[in-house]
Amino acid sequence: MNQSQSSQSNVLTPGTLVDEKIVLYYLSLSLTYLIIAMLAGLLYSLQFIHMYPFEGIEIFSPGRWRFVHTQGVAYGFISNAFLGALQWVVPRLTGHPVASRKLSWFILIAWQVIVLATVVGVLTGEAQALEWGETPVWIDPVALLGLLLVAYNFLTPIVKVKGPMYVTLWYFIAAFVWTPMVYAMGNFLPEYFIGGSAAGAIGGLFIHDLVGLFVTPIGWGLMYYFVPIALKKPIWSHGLSLVGFWGLAFFYPLNGIHHFLYSPIPMFLQYGAIISTIAVELVVTTVIINFFGTLRGRGDALRTNMPVRWFYIGMVFYFTTCLQCAFHTTLMFQRIIHFTDWVVGHAHLVMYGVFGFWINGVMTYLFPRLLRTNGWYKPSWNSWHFWLSGIGMLVMFFDLMSAGLIQGFIWKALAPWSDSITASMPFWKIRTVSGTAIIIGQLFFVANVIMTWRKAGELAPKSSPYDPTPSNQSQEQYT
Amino acid sequence: MKTPPSSRSKRYTVLGLAFLLLAPGAYGFTEKLVQFVRTLNTDNEAGFTIIPISNYFLIAGGMACMLFWAMSNGMFRDIEKPKYTMLQREAELDGGALTEEELYDA
Repeated sequence: MNQSQSSQSNVLTPGTLVDEKIVLYYLSLSLTYLIIAMLAGLLYSLQFIHMYPFEGIEIFSPGRWRFVHTQGVAYGFISNAFLGALQWVVPRLTGHPVASRKLSWFILIAWQVIVLATVVGVLTGEAQALEWGETPVWIDPVALLGLLLVAYNFLTPIVKVKGPMYVTLWYFIAAFVWTPMVYAMGNFLPEYFIGGSAAGAIGGLFIHDLVGLFVTPIGWGLMYYFVPIALKKPIWSHGLSLVGFWGLAFFYPLNGIHHFLYSPIPMFLQYGAIISTIAVELVVTTVIINFFGTLRGRGDALRTNMPVRWFYIGMVFYFTTCLQCAFHTTLMFQRIIHFTDWVVGHAHLVMYGVFGFWINGVMTYLFPRLLRTNGWYKPSWNSWHFWLSGIGMLVMFFDLMSAGLIQGFIWKALAPWSDSITASMPFWKIRTVSGTAIIIGQLFFVANVIMTWRKAGELAPKSSPYDPTPSNQSQEQYT
Repeated sequence: MKTPPSSRSKRYTVLGLAFLLLAPGAYGFTEKLVQFVRTLNTDNEAGFTIIPISNYFLIAGGMACMLFWAMSNGMFRDIEKPKYTMLQREAELDGGALTEEELYDA
């Protein structure tokens, strides 16, 4: 820390740096969208087991509710949670507030309008024909403008940092630059400029770049911030964390075409995507080693500290999903699993098992601090949240992976299509049950947030509200 | 704040991992990229190739510029320091302050 930063940090307080109310609103909205998106997913899953309650009603068409599920998770749950967490992390890491508080509130409201307009748009049949980009075309320019405003708001304090930057800020810079580019590429090029297989290639890049160049850098940036703070211990090697960051930057951008193996896209492009996917797996290994090196000597935190538990189980799932990715992008695996439920299981593990779990950990850490309470209304409800989500997620993952293998082998044997439907039915029923378990777990958390909020006065700490572990409670009780 | 020296074993581990994990990936990736670029002049599939390569160069090219800028501005000097200053700032913001011993012993 240079001298000017040091003297500045002496006069800064969390209240002048962070607009805590906006963080609270973002996280609350994120939870609301998550519940809606999960219920939409549950509704969609009922169609597979012949229990869909709204058959024949156009606005309840299962295909449209699938979009509500995916868009609700990506733009309602994850984006709101990330924006809230960024409002907390960026000012505290840089020592400078965001560019404008008024702009922050404008972005908060504008983003909700965009998400709600997307839901209305897809339910009324206006969805754009782009996977993960089903946002109606008339919303795309507004969403892009919103992303540029987000970048301006958060890059302003980051560029004021003098001297070597912490790895989290590198990840955030990359995300703020990449995300508008990826959004523009995916939503505008196939829609207005490029057709045929080339548009398919762009679609593939968009799907994967949205995960790898928006969700991944912000997710890892948050982990590099929250894990050392929760463990009260610096990251094992800052140098290795930068190896991971620059590796992601150079290897990730060509991954996307692996979504279209065995498609009309030229094979040399498909091979390139396979190579870069395996390269990314090697990069991910460095990141995982770094975090488990940090945990060394503090393993008891997995038992006593709920946010740490969410963070590390998410990392185990992240490694699993990347390892799975490195294998299933090979042509040998693709012969079996292409178009099967294996891919659906993989997507759920990434979006909820990894990023959803990390967000759960961030929320578990932040809500008591934002509500100025000494802990949670019922810490045991957070345990229910963790175990129901964890077990539900594992069951869903293995269930869909198994279903995918069975479907793939049945199709490869050229058996009648109906055979694969009959064989899949038990797996689809288990998927619905495991999804229900995850939703119940999430409802425990929502109920705990509401009750903690309502009882905030009774749960207020006697010591400083900014003291991360008030003296009269152990870390376990607090989290 | 003075950063404590990294242990020799940690430095070798980081360098070893950086080389062992990234070198094969970099080799395979670069080879494929060269193949893509050559295809632009030799193959009627060039139309398919231009978009992903442009996309890659746009993103990776920008990152390369940022890497060189960071290197020339001393962003990687005393590379372990930011992980200590980050924790210290957090402790200050939360109303406490960590001593250097607390930081380094963690």
